[in-house]
Amino acid sequence: MAKLLPPRPRIGVGMGTCGAGNGAEGVYHGFAEAIGQQGCDMRLAPVGCFGFCAQEPLVNVRLPGQPLVILRQVATSDVAGILDAVRENRIPEKLALCKIEEWDHLTAHIQYGAGYPKIPLWNEVPFFKPQKKIVLRNCGLISPDDIEEYIAVGGYQSLYKVLIDANPELVIEQIKASKLRGRGGAGFLTGIKWEFMRRAAAGQKFLICNADEGDPGAYMNRNEIESDPHALLEGMIIGGYVMEATEGIVYVRAEYPLAVHRLNRAIEQARQSGLLGDNVMGRGFRFDIRLVEGAGAFVCGEETALIASLEGFAGRPRPRPPFPAQKGLYGQPTNINNVETWYNIAPIVSKGPAWFSETGSAKSAGTKVFSLVGKVANTGLVEMPLGTPLKTFIYDVGEGGSDGRPVKAVQTGGPSGGCIPQEMFDTPVDYETLAQLGSIMGSGGIVVMDEDNCMVDVARYFIEFTHSESCGKCIPCRVGLDQSLRLLNAFTRGKAGETALEQLDEMGRMIRDMSLCGLGQSAPNPLLTTIRHFRHEFEDHIRAKRCRAGVCEDLALSPCENSCPLHMNVPRYLQLLQEGRLEEAFEAVVLDNPLPASTGRVCQHPCDHRCRRRSLDSAVNMRDVHRHIADAIFESDRFDALADRIAARRLPSTDRKVAVVGAGPTGLAAAFYLALLGHQVTVYESNAEPGGMLRYAIPEYRLPTSVIRREVELIRRMGVEIQCGVTIGTDI
Amino acid sequence: MTTVNPQPILVTGEQAFIDRTIEAHMGRPGALLGVLERVQEHHPHKFLPAATLEYIADRMDLPLAQIYSVATFYALFNLEPQGDHTICICRGTACHTRGSRNLLQRLRLELGFPEHSEDGADKLCVTTPDGRFSLRTVACFGQCALAPVVEVDHAILGHVNEQALHRELENLDEGKA
Repeated sequence: MAKLLPPRPRIGVGMGTCGAGNGAEGVYHGFAEAIGQQGCDMRLAPVGCFGFCAQEPLVNVRLPGQPLVILRQVATSDVAGILDAVRENRIPEKLALCKIEEWDHLTAHIQYGAGYPKIPLWNEVPFFKPQKKIVLRNCGLISPDDIEEYIAVGGYQSLYKVLIDANPELVIEQIKASKLRGRGGAGFLTGIKWEFMRRAAAGQKFLICNADEGDPGAYMNRNEIESDPHALLEGMIIGGYVMEATEGIVYVRAEYPLAVHRLNRAIEQARQSGLLGDNVMGRGFRFDIRLVEGAGAFVCGEETALIASLEGFAGRPRPRPPFPAQKGLYGQPTNINNVETWYNIAPIVSKGPAWFSETGSAKSAGTKVFSLVGKVANTGLVEMPLGTPLKTFIYDVGEGGSDGRPVKAVQTGGPSGGCIPQEMFDTPVDYETLAQLGSIMGSGGIVVMDEDNCMVDVARYFIEFTHSESCGKCIPCRVGLDQSLRLLNAFTRGKAGETALEQLDEMGRMIRDMSLCGLGQSAPNPLLTTIRHFRHEFEDHIRAKRCRAGVCEDLALSPCENSCPLHMNVPRYLQLLQEGRLEEAFEAVVLDNPLPASTGRVCQHPCDHRCRRRSLDSAVNMRDVHRHIADAIFESDRFDALADRIAARRLPSTDRKVAVVGAGPTGLAAAFYLALLGHQVTVYESNAEPGGMLRYAIPEYRLPTSVIRREVELIRRMGVEIQCGVTIGTDI
Repeated sequence: MTTVNPQPILVTGEQAFIDRTIEAHMGRPGALLGVLERVQEHHPHKFLPAATLEYIADRMDLPLAQIYSVATFYALFNLEPQGDHTICICRGTACHTRGSRNLLQRLRLELGFPEHSEDGADKLCVTTPDGRFSLRTVACFGQCALAPVVEVDHAILGHVNEQALHRELENLDEGKA
């Protein structure tokens, strides 16, 4: 306890991989060096991640007797200032995100102290307010490298209780009563699974923790292991005792080197403390845990494939039954649970099943950790009671789309899940409701998408993923996904026919219904849900050959052209301008947009948001560019010659007369193009001058009438007759 | 596997390392994966030559076909030498929605690989002919809040744009001089 609440200042630096990627290591070394050089009386500890990834690196500071304060976006250059403040017994309030006065670790309760009225409490911050931390109870507060800190917050006490009570049946009853369900995605009741396993009679039984978190977009397991590895071990040791297993295996992705490192260290510490080995806690129970690194195969998240992988084979699934609880690793009874399931065990044992099932919905008890990522303002790991509506995730915790842009859809459950449109954000997030919408909760990834994301491309992305991760064993999955990918490629290239959508839908159902394992059975979910909820986007790709989001590159000339309401050929006039061919640039502009000088003053230039140049420095403002081109010609003596040149593009006369009602921007543009097609056009306008809203609604200082007159002149030069002061129905 | 040598030719140090690794893992669940991972990591060019696979098969008393099956099934294992520098682009969902495909295309151009593979798939692992750079993709690094993410020689870079990537390449190139 003296380590957590020392009688001197304590500084904790959030050192998960994501913190490290944001510069936490530099910050930690900065603190270590400064403290070493100046000989400050402080305790410095690396801690795990508190979950608010968008505000990393997070640093927590506590002065004796005071609340713990979490500082956000701490840079190495802030270190000296923080240390100065701490030495003067102050908190650098400018950097403060929130404070914690007391914390319920569930297995222990910590009182930090009260104070700092100006800093909000952690659960007053919108990002944390709806959250409830059960799985992440210790994350970001204790050092993952130090077993003593875990023990200080009540760690391993649940294990002790289980071993002292020596009543494994009771523990299983508790887990059953808590209604805890597997957190890997399928949501099978954990207590029932444990009971099967306990009843299986065999000389050797295995426990496996599935930490092969392959779902792109989900990283809660990485963070849990990196921040609080001992809680995983405690859950597994309890499971080992209850299910009479002697060996536990944690199958971790090799892509998570820090998690592997910290877990290995935790296992070593647990062995030294007698929590693993031949005689756990001196109670005559033998159990050990080893770590195996997966080698980058998504399908190994499927339990039978994972077992094949551990046995030294390629990770190809086997048909079930027999279930692993009957015949698993090396033919022995085997229990496989997801990382997060194991994290729930100790709190259930400590606080009882009734307490656990208070949280969450009727059928889905407890909480789940979700990774809220993509186009959302607040990204991070959030632990929410099950049954919380999606809109709470997106708009309360996430505080809406990134850059304040509207959210279009969310994708839940990774490649096995589906897309849910914005209209359905009232949906409570639990196992059953998501399944009804064709999605799944899966490992808990929530990827937010906005108007820049093409749903056809999203479907293609996931099918491409499962296509390359399919193990190739069963035909529906192997061939079906390949065919689906080809069809989707045709969509993104504008080459899909009218029947393609039905074909895709049928193919998806076939793969879902006929595949051998979970990968194939769920792989079409992203496809089927996007077809169900975003059918219009698919139809746009077929009929209009248009990708509104501008993602499918073959359907768009360039992102700016695609986002322009007029589809101006931006690359063409930009290149002409760059080569000094101003007159040709003007022609190119006018043919796409007969009112270039007016729009050059009043356009909202949506193309800015899509400008590729933004990834280098800032967007090129196309409004200014075509305004420059138009002004340069309109105000020069070349206007006459150019107007003639454009007029010469008129097709031979059709001898047809067309009347256009109203000389607003639409009427003028229509007249211009009709004249180019060879028709004889007359525009009738009730006002005294042409221009419509451009002329009468936009003030002079924003759009001078002289500019409109120039453009009207150009349209007249096409042979268009404009009669003003004529009201249709009254005068004619 | 086209090697015809009845006795695989390995450097003595290499053999000793493989022997030690096998000894440490033998008989445990996940032994083969562990051995292949360690041996590949130990190789200066981060790959598993045919001779190594044969030697492991012999020492672990496993059919070579099984080892070859495993080495080709998992994305982590390389059967070709890797470049001096490895750039790994995350193709996870969050990175995808934040533009990682553009980064991949940019790198393909900069390093002189064809812009699109034939089947339109993004998953790849390629090395420049001069052996300087390897370009690969990963399903997800689990760094989604930092999307788009690129890993350069095992260091994670977050919120990467094309310019940052270009600078990173230049830095690596300067390192050569």
